[in-house]
Amino acid sequence: MLKIEHLTKIYDNGVMALNDVSFEVPDGQFVVIIGLSGSGKSTLLRCINRLIDPTAGRILWNDIDITAATDEELRLIRRRIGMIFQQFNLVKRSSVLTNVLSGRLGYTNPLWSLINYFPRSEREKALEKLERVGIREKAHNRADELSGGQQQRVGIARALMQEPELMLADEPVASLDPATSHSVMKYLELLNKEDGLTVLCSLHFLSLARTYADRIIALKEGRLMFDGLPEDIDDERFKAIYGEDAVRVEIA
Amino acid sequence: MNNTDRPSSRSALRRLLLVAAVVLGVLVYAYGWRVTDISLEETQDPIRQDSVTRALRELLSPDIFDQDRTSEFVYAAIALGCPEDGTPIEQPAAEPGKPQVTVSPDCGRGGDVITVQGTGFAPHADVFLRWIPPSGQSRPLVRTDVDDSGNFTTRFEIPRIRGSQGETHRLEIEESWPVSLPYFSATTRTVIEKIIETIFLALMATTIAVPIAAILSFLAARNLMRQVQLPLGNVLVGFILLPVGWVLGVTLLSPVATLGMAWGKELWLGLVGPLIALAGYALVDRSVNNVELSLHSLGYHARRIGMNILLLVITVFVIGALGGLGIWLGERLQVGLLADLGNFLGTLGRLIELVITLITGAGAAFFAASVGMELTRDGLKVLTGTPSHIVGGILGAIGGALLFAGLALIANIAALLTLLLPIMTAILGMQVVIMIFNRAVKPTVLAEGDARQTARLIVGIAGAVIAFFLAYDLLETGRGLVDGRLPSSLTWDVLGYQVQSIVAKAALVGGVLSGVGGLLAGTRAIFPLGLTIYNVTRTILNALRSIEPLIMGIVFVIWVGVGPFAGVLALTLHGIAALGKLYSEQTENIDPGPLEAIQATGANRLQTIVYGVVPQIIPPYIAFTMYRWDINVRMSTIIGFVGGGGIGFLLQQQINLLRYQDAGVAVLAIAIVVSALDYASATIRERMV
Repeated sequence: MLKIEHLTKIYDNGVMALNDVSFEVPDGQFVVIIGLSGSGKSTLLRCINRLIDPTAGRILWNDIDITAATDEELRLIRRRIGMIFQQFNLVKRSSVLTNVLSGRLGYTNPLWSLINYFPRSEREKALEKLERVGIREKAHNRADELSGGQQQRVGIARALMQEPELMLADEPVASLDPATSHSVMKYLELLNKEDGLTVLCSLHFLSLARTYADRIIALKEGRLMFDGLPEDIDDERFKAIYGEDAVRVEIA
Repeated sequence: MNNTDRPSSRSALRRLLLVAAVVLGVLVYAYGWRVTDISLEETQDPIRQDSVTRALRELLSPDIFDQDRTSEFVYAAIALGCPEDGTPIEQPAAEPGKPQVTVSPDCGRGGDVITVQGTGFAPHADVFLRWIPPSGQSRPLVRTDVDDSGNFTTRFEIPRIRGSQGETHRLEIEESWPVSLPYFSATTRTVIEKIIETIFLALMATTIAVPIAAILSFLAARNLMRQVQLPLGNVLVGFILLPVGWVLGVTLLSPVATLGMAWGKELWLGLVGPLIALAGYALVDRSVNNVELSLHSLGYHARRIGMNILLLVITVFVIGALGGLGIWLGERLQVGLLADLGNFLGTLGRLIELVITLITGAGAAFFAASVGMELTRDGLKVLTGTPSHIVGGILGAIGGALLFAGLALIANIAALLTLLLPIMTAILGMQVVIMIFNRAVKPTVLAEGDARQTARLIVGIAGAVIAFFLAYDLLETGRGLVDGRLPSSLTWDVLGYQVQSIVAKAALVGGVLSGVGGLLAGTRAIFPLGLTIYNVTRTILNALRSIEPLIMGIVFVIWVGVGPFAGVLALTLHGIAALGKLYSEQTENIDPGPLEAIQATGANRLQTIVYGVVPQIIPPYIAFTMYRWDINVRMSTIIGFVGGGGIGFLLQQQINLLRYQDAGVAVLAIAIVVSALDYASATIRERMV
């Protein structure tokens, strides 16, 4: 169970990215967060694993207060929270395998990992994860040799190495074409359905959100605008979230 | 009317300003013209023109090759001052089969022109004419070539020789021709030897600078350091424990290092000992880490600290053993090719022997600081409100006293360094005054905004200035800055210890000021530790970089004597500063995405750097290393001018002896090596980036 309580984030330049946002996510739910660019979606996701420190409010995960965790505790919490990114955030010059293995850094002996040594069991696990996202044969390629969709799948494999219970996905398909978008979303859905991972995913397109979400949360200018089922978003709510001028764009 | 007038008057004003700016510009330029002594007369002076032509011609006629030659000599007699009766001067008897020369006239005074004609010489041979006075040095006159039929005609001026009037002088005609293939001259061979020394000088300086600069570059990278923020209380505890750790490390770990050294010198023990130690560590690490311990339990902390102490002890032991091993090998490897290797390892070993105390002290200091920070973290987190401020005040006072006492000790090194104390006081004073401002002037009085910002800035600057001059007065800065003297050696009696007065006074000032600061801030205030380290590192790097290697060279020549070692040290020091800055800028330019991703997996800071930063910076680091080597070769060609070894030293000697033909060889060698390296480094950089 993930509880967000009165979360507020004001950046140093005075921008209020999140304004008193509260909601709860039961385990195993697929939650999609929608909203315009700059509505606070990324900030919200990054507050959950404290890549960004919130200004006020609390985040409780399985009754552990993430916002109060020390560096050491935070590392242990982050190990269980996978994250994938819009720009994939792979180390481009490293091999796919090394990228995937880096998802395991929170678990390995720090000294061994500094000389790039991972036990055989971990290497096998990495190959397994790559198998699962269908690109095992690319394990020894450099990450930047892969296509966008393949890179995002490496990102998923890296997150899977953490054996996460919660997956944060920050606009995972915004840099991909529609067909690839669906294939990446399908992997997330698979993890949600088969492994029971809780997924928090931010998306631009409402149509994608409708296809995959159990529940939709909408942010507008840092405030929670909508929290409910995908089918409850009618034209009126759509305009409230995306603004009067917005036109629905379907993504096949 | 007004509407049409205004733009035209404005443009007139603008035009006037433009004219004024141009006039001012020309005046400034004219001043520059004068102070740099630009003068056309000097360039047109015929004597100077003559000298420069000769110097350039010699520089461009480098003495690269030599050739073995055979010579034959013919002589003619010339009287200085013609006889009254006009009788011809008696010439040496012509030998049959040998070339012959005639001189006309056969007498004259200094400056007269004499024509020499030769017959029967070897076609195309070189002919040198020399003037040989009855006593003293012979002088070269002219050089000419023999034509196809073995004849030559040339003219020369009789040299002006004092006090040899009326005597008969000899004219030596040397005919010479090559009998061997051309080979490198002695000059060329020396130059080659020196240019190799130069290349290696640059290589040594670069390779020693690279690892140090690479480590420093992380500390000087804003994007990495900005994230390092800690509660003030923790930082202060850590800081206070630094000297404690140092003392403990030096007293407790030095025996371990000495043991390592002793084992290393026994070869087998030196090889086996470290391996056993490392294996033992791995074994203990594996077994204790299998136990699951709660994050806040005593056992968890005890395990972490215990393992880290073990690691520290083993590291010191291994470093000691490696040093001992180096010394052992250095003493044994003395023959042939291995001698260089032995010398290298031996020097490294002795270097470790020299700095091992520093290593143990620094290692233990940082270790003590981190343990203190970790242990007090939970405790300090509980403190809120007034207790937090009281503890902050106490810790601040101790920390400030230590910091200022340390700075006072540094001030003892040189007079200029006494400035550190008032500067630090100003920084602290500014912070304290701003904190007082924030508390005293409630946002209800002056709302957050530009006005408040400005007021805060003004108050802060005022605080800094006042603090600076207070400290200037109290801490003997004038004595250092104005009189150029070191701080007074008078001592104060502090709890029965004799403490140098400036140290005691500085500790008092720092303690009071930081105490107030800590009291106001409280232990929970966030301290930008990373940015502080960043700023200190950047300042030191910038200061070092602004000192020219030639000046550093002068200092190192005083320290280690004339020779390439001084050059290596100077270029290394400058290279560390220059590369540190270039590297850190590359680190600041990396893509933050992978960093974020790796952080999000629960990796620690070091792992994040190794996996997220290092792969991104390797290509630019290699490129800049090549670039630096290129620069170092260029610099090492002139570092010799101040005694730093390499080809510069040779070049300077040749120029001082006016041997421009030899200097030409050195200049040519420099040009070839520099442009070759320039090309090589450009090619490699192109491929890497």
